[in-house]
Amino acid sequence: MYYEILVVTLVVWSYVLTAWCYRTSADPAGSADPAGSADPAGSAGPRPASLRGLIRARGWGLLLIPVALAYAALAQVNGGNHLVILAGIALAGVVMAFFPRLAAKIVPYGLLVLGVYGLVLAKWFHDGDYSQVLYGLALAGAGSWRTHLVLPQAAVFFLAGLWLLLRVQAPGAEQVRALVAKWRHSGRGGIAPGQRWLLLPVVALLMELLGPRDWFGTDWITGAGVVDIDIVVGLAGLVLVFRSRVWAATLAEAGLLVFGVYGLLILELGTVVTGYAYGLAALATTGGHLVISGLQGAVLLTLGLWLVPRVMVEHLAGPVDPELAARAQQLTQRVESLTQTRSDAVDTAVSELRRIERDLHDGAQARLVALGMSLQAAERLFATSPSAALALVTEAKETSSRALADLRGLVRGIYPPVLADRGLADAIRALALDSPLHTVLDIDLPGEPEMPVAAAVYFSVAEALANVSKHASARSVRIQLSYATGMLRAEVTDDGAGGADPARGTGLAGVERRLATFDGILAVSSPPGGPTIVVIEVPCALSSAKTSSC
Amino acid sequence: MRIVIGEDLFLLREGLVRLLTAHGFEIAAAVGSAPELLRALVDERPDVGIVDVRLPPTHTDDGLRAALAARSQVPGLPVLVLSQYVEQLYARELLADQAGGVGYLLKDRVFNDETFTAAIRSVAAGGTVLDPEVVSKLMVRHSRTEPVTRLTPREREVLALMAEGRSNAAIGQRLFITEKAVSKHAAGIFAKLDLTPSEDDNRRVLAVLAYLGS
Repeated sequence: MYYEILVVTLVVWSYVLTAWCYRTSADPAGSADPAGSADPAGSAGPRPASLRGLIRARGWGLLLIPVALAYAALAQVNGGNHLVILAGIALAGVVMAFFPRLAAKIVPYGLLVLGVYGLVLAKWFHDGDYSQVLYGLALAGAGSWRTHLVLPQAAVFFLAGLWLLLRVQAPGAEQVRALVAKWRHSGRGGIAPGQRWLLLPVVALLMELLGPRDWFGTDWITGAGVVDIDIVVGLAGLVLVFRSRVWAATLAEAGLLVFGVYGLLILELGTVVTGYAYGLAALATTGGHLVISGLQGAVLLTLGLWLVPRVMVEHLAGPVDPELAARAQQLTQRVESLTQTRSDAVDTAVSELRRIERDLHDGAQARLVALGMSLQAAERLFATSPSAALALVTEAKETSSRALADLRGLVRGIYPPVLADRGLADAIRALALDSPLHTVLDIDLPGEPEMPVAAAVYFSVAEALANVSKHASARSVRIQLSYATGMLRAEVTDDGAGGADPARGTGLAGVERRLATFDGILAVSSPPGGPTIVVIEVPCALSSAKTSSC
Repeated sequence: MRIVIGEDLFLLREGLVRLLTAHGFEIAAAVGSAPELLRALVDERPDVGIVDVRLPPTHTDDGLRAALAARSQVPGLPVLVLSQYVEQLYARELLADQAGGVGYLLKDRVFNDETFTAAIRSVAAGGTVLDPEVVSKLMVRHSRTEPVTRLTPREREVLALMAEGRSNAAIGQRLFITEKAVSKHAAGIFAKLDLTPSEDDNRRVLAVLAYLGS
């Protein structure tokens, strides 16, 4: 009784834990990858890099370690041989947690072998050969109903192996997939989904050939045989696989958990109960066979636990394709962020235009009016007072100079001429030259970004530099500009006092908005005592570099 | 004195031609694009080439690049570069060959025809003329650093004017002091900045610029 409670507790516990793990997760990186998590191979696609992602990706494998410890404690209480099992469980856990690709390659074939072995065993049992007496829940013996549990279990193992093989990157898996795809897609030479039941006689015939003799023989006719139930259950399982992968997987997973724990229990009980056999283990009277039972149990339990999160996520995701759901969520977030950045971009553009209009109105335009007035007055005075006229003309000349200076400043604020002439790298060099600080440049740009991106990065760096010379009491500043894997990155590092608050002031906020239009980001790190590092990253493509040769 | 003009805006080109002709310069060629300019500079070998930074065909810094290319073919070919804006970056590139005969001015300096023609003559004579705006940026860069902070305000004024390429006489005229006082200030500056004094105006400018540009 004690062991049954343990089995149920373990199974329920693993279900609850897995469900909790997936339910409570609002991690976008994780939810963007449910397809990967649902993939039993554990090998498709990159795993999330965060710690949380790692735990979610590998937690189920790591779960085996507490299981191993629990088992070790249990075995200790019963005075059993536990070290091999303990090592087996732990090893399986480590392999699955850290080498999911390896596990994915081995597991389907292990299940297939186990299934085929069950078929062979069923045939032996049917023929009265009870040299191997136990296979999972099946116990051989004349007149025992448990003799007939061999075949359904074998079918479950076999189908689970096949099911996995269809989904993992294992040798030969591609061929099996192609074969199944041909079955599943209607068309020339294929079988329509609605006609899958046509496969039943084929499978039944295969079982007749592989299985015990005379299944459709005397037993069937005399009605004495109950072996036929095995066939029905086996076929039902097959249909289940074709109708609902999720429930077939659930069945396989539950079976694996139960048989696995059962195998471990044999190790404990074998010394007191004779007549057991389990998989490859024969009569459970010798220590060697006990160990084999335990190992088999460990393998099956491991497989079961390995399946738990994969099957659970299918249940939790419901009928919705997890890939589509993730995509929908991504798109929703994208639309939200684009709406925000577009509205920011429009606001910024409007206020920029307002500023330019005001600057022109109060600056160059006003000066040109003054210029015209001076010239007008000079014209009037020319005949009567040439010296006064000359003074006015001189004044007009100065006014036009100032108008030009105003316009130069304005143009720099719109699109700096050096940026237009030379591109981003040289514009940053020019910026560094104009800075009163000692600047160290580290520029490595293989090409030139689009003009709007270049301008955004230029003004961001300009703002960062201006902040350094205004606030940081820094002596020197380092500007790094680089490009890697589609990301343009600028870094401004000063040797100042640090402790800068990026929330203070509107300069950096404006820079952030401007960058956001291009999905760019700005990050500031400024611990007290320095250094302050401003990082700007914008995803973009580069065109071929501008050259400064003639 | 023979001059080649490279300026794409018709009004400005004609204005320059008129202004320079009025001051007795001979216009060897007045062209509107960088390739034409390069050809004219190399073929005509003028005493000074007056070049707009921004020229066709790409309307970026084609004029500047043409001037640099001409100077690499004809070392020391005097060029006076004009622009609507000035960049230290371009000044450095022009000064990089240390050959002298370089000017870099804002276009509005043309308004003052006396200093403008003086600049042309200075460049033609192998001198270096930099726009006060470039120099003030250079000075800002060093305003907080030793040993420039040890200079007196007057010495700083003299330093800036030296960097613009002015002779002692011109500096004295500008600051209303005697030429002798200027050379005394200059000696003080050179001592404080630990520069080798030089009587050659052009060498002096280059030394000062090299110091400020570092």
